[in-house]
Amino acid sequence: MEVLRLQNLQKSFGSVRALKNASLTLREGEVVALLGDNGAGKSTLIKAISGVFPVDRGDIFVRGEKVSIRSTRDAMDLGIETIHQDTSLAPDLSIARNLFLGREPVSFGWLGVFAPLDLAKLRKAASELLKRVGISKKLDADALVSTLSGGERQSIAISRAMQFAAKVIILDEPTNNLGVEETHGVLRFVKEVRDAGHSVLLITHNIHHVFQVADRIVVMRRGEIVAEQTVADTDLLTVESIITGADMSALLKEARAK
Amino acid sequence: MPVGKRRSSLIRSPQFSSFIILVVLLAVFAVADANFLSPLNISNMMAFLPELGIIALGMTLLLTAGEFDLSVGAVFGLAPVVVMLLVQNGGVDIGVALMAGLVLCIAIGAINGLIVTKIGISSFLVTLSMLLVVRGAALYITQGFPLKSWDQPGFFVTLLAGSFNIGSFRFYTSLWWFIGLSLFAIYILRYAKLGNWISAIGSNRNAAVARGVPADAVKIWLFIATSVLAGLAGMISAFRISAASPVAGTGYELEVIAMVVVGGTALTGGRGTILGTIVGALMLRAIRNGIVLVGVPGLAYNIFVGLIILAMLILHALLQKNAARS
Ligand SMILES: Nc1ncnc2c1ncn2[C@@H]1O[C@H](COP(=O)(O)OP(=O)(O)OP(=O)(O)O)[C@@H](O)[C@H]1O
Ligand SMILES: [Mg+2]
Repeated sequence: MEVLRLQNLQKSFGSVRALKNASLTLREGEVVALLGDNGAGKSTLIKAISGVFPVDRGDIFVRGEKVSIRSTRDAMDLGIETIHQDTSLAPDLSIARNLFLGREPVSFGWLGVFAPLDLAKLRKAASELLKRVGISKKLDADALVSTLSGGERQSIAISRAMQFAAKVIILDEPTNNLGVEETHGVLRFVKEVRDAGHSVLLITHNIHHVFQVADRIVVMRRGEIVAEQTVADTDLLTVESIITGADMSALLKEARAK
Repeated sequence: MPVGKRRSSLIRSPQFSSFIILVVLLAVFAVADANFLSPLNISNMMAFLPELGIIALGMTLLLTAGEFDLSVGAVFGLAPVVVMLLVQNGGVDIGVALMAGLVLCIAIGAINGLIVTKIGISSFLVTLSMLLVVRGAALYITQGFPLKSWDQPGFFVTLLAGSFNIGSFRFYTSLWWFIGLSLFAIYILRYAKLGNWISAIGSNRNAAVARGVPADAVKIWLFIATSVLAGLAGMISAFRISAASPVAGTGYELEVIAMVVVGGTALTGGRGTILGTIVGALMLRAIRNGIVLVGVPGLAYNIFVGLIILAMLILHALLQKNAARS
């Protein structure tokens, strides 16, 4: 079942055409890897989906219905959660406060932004969530995020996306700067998230990770989607050659002949 | 969190170390000069405290969100000048004139906030320019002269600067304003949804925006609140001394920022403490008052004030490092 469909998205920054006619479909319970060289337009594409900025042209459909995403709040309300490597958590806030940032449980909701946080509920929900995602080390929901490792932060960000039962979880280079163990943790998370029925759009430069967790591969080059393949039907070298756009067929033949 | 852990994190918190130093300072001044704790001197300190303290509350919230405002001292001067001119020379009703002053402060804060957030110029540059514009306006409309003294007691004067005696202490109503606004600011920063947003914006603006927090709107409102508080403090001061001067509040912006950072709020945003700011306001007030009594020559005040502020900041930095290591 189709969860998210992007149709002919276009986006320019001045004279830079960051997105030219990008189209993409994401189905329920699948992990799609979005690949491409630096500047290919991957981040631009996901920023458009997550409401960071509007597209110039093109349509976005969520479960077959055409939607307009004008803000990050719109995207969240549609069940699209995005996790950026460095920009997803506020280090000076506690884990609990981060988990509910922007969706704080409050009492006296009619007070609007002046409403008091329901701290007991916040803490309880946070520690339950931490238990559920099974982060190896025992983390205190009141601990400041600045005291966590990169991998722990990534796990918190991913569990936050899961908690709001997002239909689509977008990860922009989630394993950047992470150690071996932490990287495995994140990849394991991605699989768990998929098994729980969520769809994942994973951006990465590490093709090995792609072959470990993704179901499908989408390659972008200069603002366009240039290839789409199921992981089962392709291999590392082919994918690499598509990404760089170099004609590697000769090399490939040579490699296969061996 | 176990009690022991909570206690140790309280002791290591910046507002706590500031508090200890405040107590030490008070003790030193009290020993050095018996008059320091006399009712008259305490009354004096309490009369001045709210004026800078009220501005410091707004500045704390603004700094926590990652911005600051250098125009507060100028607004402190301009607001009462405009209000009193309207009444004295324009024959406007005092209530209407105060309303006009409020609108003026809101406008100044909104312009600061809009330029900082929508055009993306640093708050240092924007509010520095605003300082010049606002101070210049105050000087121009008064032609540089203080206004003639204010001789109209009434409801608003009592409301903002009335005084009352408790035993041999003489307090001003402005102390109630300070206490009330402090409690409100503590509530906002620690317990309200808005406080969560303010800290998150200062800590990592993009993260907050990605979670749907309206960062620009929050900042603009904080600039407005700070401006309004500066205007309120200016009115309180002018009513208390029954006079408005176009140069009132000169240099207050730096004194207020010093109070806030001495209390433990981070200049870089994300970490703010209202309790710390109250301690910082008390501390700077006590220092300014104490060194006079101790007999430091008038022209040397700022040397001491500067050194004590520097010492406080070094202490915070060391504690911060320590906390990070453990
Ligand atoms: N806010 C912006 N203003 C101007 N140009 C931009 C902006 N954001 C992206 N671009 C340009 O759009 C193009 C695509 O950038 P994008 O960030 O989407 O690349 P990417 O595929 O995510 O690359 P990377 O792998 O390096 O993260 C680049 O040429 C970039 O310079
Ligand atoms: Mg990118």
